[in-house]
Amino acid sequence: MTATRPPVALAGGLERGAVVAELDIGGAWLVDPASGRSGPGDVVVRDGIVTAVAWLEGEEAAGIDDRGVIVAPGFIDIHAHLREPGDEDSETVASGLAAAAHGGYTTVCTMANTDPALDEPAVLARIRDAATASGSPVALLAHGAVSAGRAGEQLAALGELADAGVVGFSDDGAPVRPALLRNALAYAGTLGLPILEHAEDPTLTTGAEANEGYVATVLGLRGWPVAGEAAAVSAAIAVLADVVADVPTARLHVTHVSTGAAIERIRAARAAGLPVSCDVTPHHLAMTDEWVAGARRWAWEAVDGDGDRDPWADRALVAPPFDPACRVNPPLRRPTDAAACRAALRDGLAIAIATDHAPHHEVKKAVEFGLAATGIDGLETALGVTLAMVDAGELTLARAIEALTVGPASFLGLRLGRRVGLLEGEPADLVVFDRRASWRVDGDSLASRSRNTPLLGRELPGVVLATIAGGRLAYAAPDEG
Amino acid sequence: MTGRRIMTADEIRRAVVRVSHEIVEKHAGTDGLVLVGIQRRGVPLARRLAAAIREHEGAAIPVGALDITFYRDDLSLVAQQPVVKGTDIPFPIDGRTIVLVDDVLYTGRTIRAAMDALVDFGRPEAIRLAVLVDRGHRELPIRADHVGKNVPTSREEIVRVSVEEIDGEDAVTIERVEASVAEPVA
Amino acid sequence: MTEAPVVAEVAAASQAPVEAAPVEVPWRHRHLLDLDVLTWPDIERVLVTADAMTEVLARPIAKVPALRGISVTILFYEASTRTRVSFEVAAKNLSADVVNIAAASSSVTKGESLVDTVRTIEALGARMLVMRHDRSGAPYLAAEVFGGSVLNGGDGWHAHPTQGLLDLYTMRAHLPGGSVAGRKVVILGDILHSRVARSNVWSLTAAGADLWLCGPSTLLRGFEAWAARGAAAGRRFQVTSDVDAALRDADVVMALRIQRERMTGGLLPSLREYAARYGLTRERLALARPEAIVMHPGPMNEGVEIAPDVATDPRSVITDQVTNGVAIRMALLYLLAGTLPGRHEPGGAAGR
Repeated sequence: MTATRPPVALAGGLERGAVVAELDIGGAWLVDPASGRSGPGDVVVRDGIVTAVAWLEGEEAAGIDDRGVIVAPGFIDIHAHLREPGDEDSETVASGLAAAAHGGYTTVCTMANTDPALDEPAVLARIRDAATASGSPVALLAHGAVSAGRAGEQLAALGELADAGVVGFSDDGAPVRPALLRNALAYAGTLGLPILEHAEDPTLTTGAEANEGYVATVLGLRGWPVAGEAAAVSAAIAVLADVVADVPTARLHVTHVSTGAAIERIRAARAAGLPVSCDVTPHHLAMTDEWVAGARRWAWEAVDGDGDRDPWADRALVAPPFDPACRVNPPLRRPTDAAACRAALRDGLAIAIATDHAPHHEVKKAVEFGLAATGIDGLETALGVTLAMVDAGELTLARAIEALTVGPASFLGLRLGRRVGLLEGEPADLVVFDRRASWRVDGDSLASRSRNTPLLGRELPGVVLATIAGGRLAYAAPDEG
Repeated sequence: MTGRRIMTADEIRRAVVRVSHEIVEKHAGTDGLVLVGIQRRGVPLARRLAAAIREHEGAAIPVGALDITFYRDDLSLVAQQPVVKGTDIPFPIDGRTIVLVDDVLYTGRTIRAAMDALVDFGRPEAIRLAVLVDRGHRELPIRADHVGKNVPTSREEIVRVSVEEIDGEDAVTIERVEASVAEPVA
Repeated sequence: MTEAPVVAEVAAASQAPVEAAPVEVPWRHRHLLDLDVLTWPDIERVLVTADAMTEVLARPIAKVPALRGISVTILFYEASTRTRVSFEVAAKNLSADVVNIAAASSSVTKGESLVDTVRTIEALGARMLVMRHDRSGAPYLAAEVFGGSVLNGGDGWHAHPTQGLLDLYTMRAHLPGGSVAGRKVVILGDILHSRVARSNVWSLTAAGADLWLCGPSTLLRGFEAWAARGAAAGRRFQVTSDVDAALRDADVVMALRIQRERMTGGLLPSLREYAARYGLTRERLALARPEAIVMHPGPMNEGVEIAPDVATDPRSVITDQVTNGVAIRMALLYLLAGTLPGRHEPGGAAGR
């Protein structure tokens, strides 16, 4: 990490979890998507409350740009897997929240595919106890399972889970079959909660290993066709259209959408007035199926006009092929699909960047590609990947911060339980990062228990200096005094 | 790298003639005699010896070619070593006297490898060795029966034999090189 | 350690004249997992070395001590007699110490991971590992953890590099002029599931052949896109389900086995229909040039992809493929062994 400027002065010796007694940020670039305002400014925090947010003008603002220290609301992730209970070797609530804080996140929504599944309040209570015991100020919210045991047969205890405070329902990891999805959308709609659907037609993806396309053909991997996602999205939208006639409050959210074909179906459904939304992951925005062949260039470097470039012809293969760290569900797609994801993010169709943080212990990944657990560890690298997009001109900084903060907040609505922004008088909930600095992704720097990311060994832009959640310190970079 | 010429084309020619007489003299005739040249430059030398023997004895001696690449005891040289499709021994060797022919005798390891190879082809009555140049520094108990020229050398020197069939001219030169450069191998 | 596949050099060099001259380019590949990383000079080096091995195989004692003292383990996760035995024969002809593991009978079936198996094999002294596995990419995982050399004997649908090379070697031995450049080569059959087809795409496009892949459209999925890109990269080949157009004036016809065990159902109506529409019969073979050669990687389903009288036709070089397979595998074991660390003679450079 490069030496930080004086802007951030944190009263010394603060322990993780403690209330931030005194924090003065002088002359940083503030981004406040709630008010739509960005610019040079000061932030003052006393006893955990933001006492002042001052926008600088004229001479005071001179020399401060959006390439240095940046202050933004704390990031919110609506899709992460914290693995506890059931797979604590890969991640626990404590390590997951530590990873979140390191990544600039102050709120994380954990998915229900734990063991036992989060299909009844007792499991939720267990997870909440673990969060409290961790001492982390990062807010942990949870999605309940759609079906009992995530088995896809009967509905889980949706009402009880709603009463217990889940923020949505999802069988993520697996799709919900259309007949059950219909009932789930209706029931959850009356509870005022959305269904986050993992859109996949399992009959088209049997045995699939990688995106069906040029790379899979050359590498001899079983393909996961675009139709596998597009058909599932079409079916889910059709079901939604029937449900809203009876339950106008029903809401469908397609999580980790990865293909242009699915995005276009969602766009058309929204244009027709249906209550459907979607999010995209950092890896679907920035990585492609080329990475499975051994490329490591960003997705925007792999498109040529309207087509995909050829990694073999471009001599772009720099890592061994078949790296299980690249196996994820839905799979890394073609460069043009990643471009469609970025376009959806730019124009707002994708309301949020959601990490789909999927930690896996090494044992589950150090196997043959087609047998490797699917998933990429993403809470700590999301900011870096997002900034790489901003640096490349693919996304504005303002839109990026929106997608990490107010976008997910709008999805959560009242269930978030707080306002999002740089707000005087509210408990401090913000992230401070230095865009001029970079850091190397490796075993030493990651707080997650797992290391399963193809970004291992890579330098990413943007070093988080401090993450403050609910007025308490969640993370401070080691150099801070 | 410039070298010092230690044998001219004429000197090579005379040496070949002398050695061809010595071979026949030692064998007391030409019955059962075969020549096997070691790739690469031992092969044209073997052919010249056979031609000389034919001229002064009137007898045609079989000539074979032996590539000892697969018999070397140092695999790390595989990477630099060109592979030549070069073993051709189209006659039986059981009971025959084989005269191995090579251009330079140095540590003796090439000849050890050649003998290992020959033993896989059959059981000769005797194996002898004829070389154009013996430069000393043996690492194995191998000696040549017939030598064109003895040339004392130091380990920092390289002896290069050129033959018209491969290099366009006949000459033997000696060059001083850096220790790290490997001796050119056939 | 990773190898970036070479395309541009290969494309440029494929017009180079082919001669059996000594090859001076050093061999730098510690593993051979796929043909995409081999340059044309690399391929030529293998072929020239295989020529030398062919001569060794013709000797009364078909053995050389080149790999003496080196332990080679053959680890096959897929049932295969011919290839597994071919590798064993090749290694033994080089005087290597061979351990041959048919994984179905080993602790692998008790759930030992590939990584653990490879580490155990290395701890038992293996310096070279020949591997066949039913999952694409498995040898790359082995290469990450194995300290010696890994030679891929076939992985899933992905690659069968020794087959690609022995096919090229066999073609050159039988084609006039000893070259496949400009010759029409047709590979006919279940392309989708075939690692033999994929490896032949790399080797034959490098060699400048006029390559055609042919089969029912369900078994050609994805290859049209590869062919389109190949054209842009100088690695041209054709894809078609029109078997007559494919066979017309072909110089080489290679039939692939319809791999029953790899089809997960629904790809073909029946084998009878396949045999009728795509089987290599005498009538279909008549569309090719009169002196065209017939090849098959084996084992054959006679009566399905290839008619029995075609398999035994004088134009069939299928048994040559088997012989050449041993020579090619000897060549590769020899070249890879040269990259093993620690194979040094005390006293430095070899002298005379």
